[in-house]
Amino acid sequence: MAYTDTMTPKQRVLNALNKKPVDRTPVANPTSVATVELMDLVSAPFPRACQEPELVAELAATGYTELGFDSISPYFSIIQESSALGCEMQWEEKDNWPTVRMYNPIWKSAADVKIPSGLLNHRDMKAITESISILKNTYGDEVAIIGKTMGPWTLAYHVFGVESFLLGTVDDPNETIKALDRLKEISILFGQAQIDAGADALTFPDHATGDLVSGEYYKRFLQDLHTEMVDELPVPLILHICGNTIDRMPYIAQTGMASFHFDSKNDPQEAMDAVGDGIGLVGNINNPETLYAKGPNEVREEVYRCLDAGVQMIAPECAIPLATRIENLIEIPRAVKDWTSEHRN
Amino acid sequence: MPSINEEVKRPVEVIERYGKCLELIPVDKYFKDISVGLYVKDAVCTIWTYSQVDGVPKRLQTIRDQMIKLGDMEAIPNTHNQVQFTCGSTHSRPLKFLLSQAVTKPPIYRHAEGPMTISDTKSPLTINVQPYDDDDSQSLYQVSVSGTAKNPAMRLRMILAGFVRYGEMDKTEDGNIFFTCRHRHDNLLKLLMPYSRNISSVEGMIAAESLRGQMTTGTLGFSQT
Repeated sequence: MAYTDTMTPKQRVLNALNKKPVDRTPVANPTSVATVELMDLVSAPFPRACQEPELVAELAATGYTELGFDSISPYFSIIQESSALGCEMQWEEKDNWPTVRMYNPIWKSAADVKIPSGLLNHRDMKAITESISILKNTYGDEVAIIGKTMGPWTLAYHVFGVESFLLGTVDDPNETIKALDRLKEISILFGQAQIDAGADALTFPDHATGDLVSGEYYKRFLQDLHTEMVDELPVPLILHICGNTIDRMPYIAQTGMASFHFDSKNDPQEAMDAVGDGIGLVGNINNPETLYAKGPNEVREEVYRCLDAGVQMIAPECAIPLATRIENLIEIPRAVKDWTSEHRN
Repeated sequence: MPSINEEVKRPVEVIERYGKCLELIPVDKYFKDISVGLYVKDAVCTIWTYSQVDGVPKRLQTIRDQMIKLGDMEAIPNTHNQVQFTCGSTHSRPLKFLLSQAVTKPPIYRHAEGPMTISDTKSPLTINVQPYDDDDSQSLYQVSVSGTAKNPAMRLRMILAGFVRYGEMDKTEDGNIFFTCRHRHDNLLKLLMPYSRNISSVEGMIAAESLRGQMTTGTLGFSQT
């Protein structure tokens, strides 16, 4: 029997995040589905589409209007806060991601961490909050608007430099905890501003990635802090950490966050087993090999694998490559609907 | 919030009408940084962009004309952005290189006139390609190397492997190569010559191109390497 939607995309996503029943598994987008072709379609190229609210909103909306996803995410990159804090930026061009030049960090210790007055009025912060307001006015009744606020671990990479920060976790862990504690105020400030602007949920990327730090490190430095975020930011939170993270999933599952956005390096069934009933999962269609380099059939296979495992929301594993073919993205919601039709009754 | 111009084709319509996106050039440095895609359906290739900036049709026609000149394709009548191979085949792998050359090289770029020869990049040898027809009027290419170098036979084997890989060509028992359609595509073969002589370098180039625009812990600087 062919599947027919009986919920709005917004209801579907928010129900999944709140562990309530859904008419089908939502196709969410906790990070970014922007591509160069979509930029051309709405005349919103990078880097301007990371800086100007109207363009941010235009490009973000295509995830819903053109690709058929159930959510809209206007924060494409991971650099907005760091740019506003004064980090040296490499804005790049239309076909590449803006990055922070971490070899030239702005701070050396926790004592240096200061939130500039007017941080939320910086162009790159307003680009996100104002775009959320625009999207809320246009699509707020029908689609889930997912904001994003960077966690303190990621901010620490940007403001202290990756190597310096990670060495500090070994040399002086108390100083690291102090720095994270101060940086989390930025995460809360920006997250709350997005909630005030109309965000229905927030992605919380905190790159304690599988290839850099262990599960024990996550438990020691971040588990309590992430638990605290659940009280501080009163919308469903989606934690995002790249890499193989099976070893920390049981800890993540105890934070009280609504969902964990997981990488394709983790087998969907193994990930589901690791988190149990503690937290929902969203993911984990592979970006570089499948969405970028293969075709709709391979995309469909990965979607089915996630659905068979019971993953609660389907999404690319991370921000998709900017030159991803649109046909592969459109295939994700199509595959979810077909799987649902095949599994009715 | 302004909406998309109603006259603009949406992605679902484009894919339905023009087929699969075989290759995508993210930024056209010769025309306002637009993205240019090559969509293929039933062996008809459509050069497409979602950009609506002034001058797009003319630029797409220029790219189309380059594909004709550099790759022995023919225009689909009454179109400005569609081409096909005269043999009716698609030749997917060479098409990717052809679009790349048509977009990223200057619009006046042409293959060198005259015999199909090129210097080898890994030896002092010269690579020579000679087209011929066999007794069944099937078109083949004889590839040879001239000059002095250590173990030229091994270099020739590697070069033939390059043609097979990047041209989706087949090889006869006596070492000649042919397109699977068995037709002549001399300009397409000329286009493939620089790629076929150095597989490792081309693979490196492809890997570097694919990494651009990917958000990974490596590209973000969040990795140990």
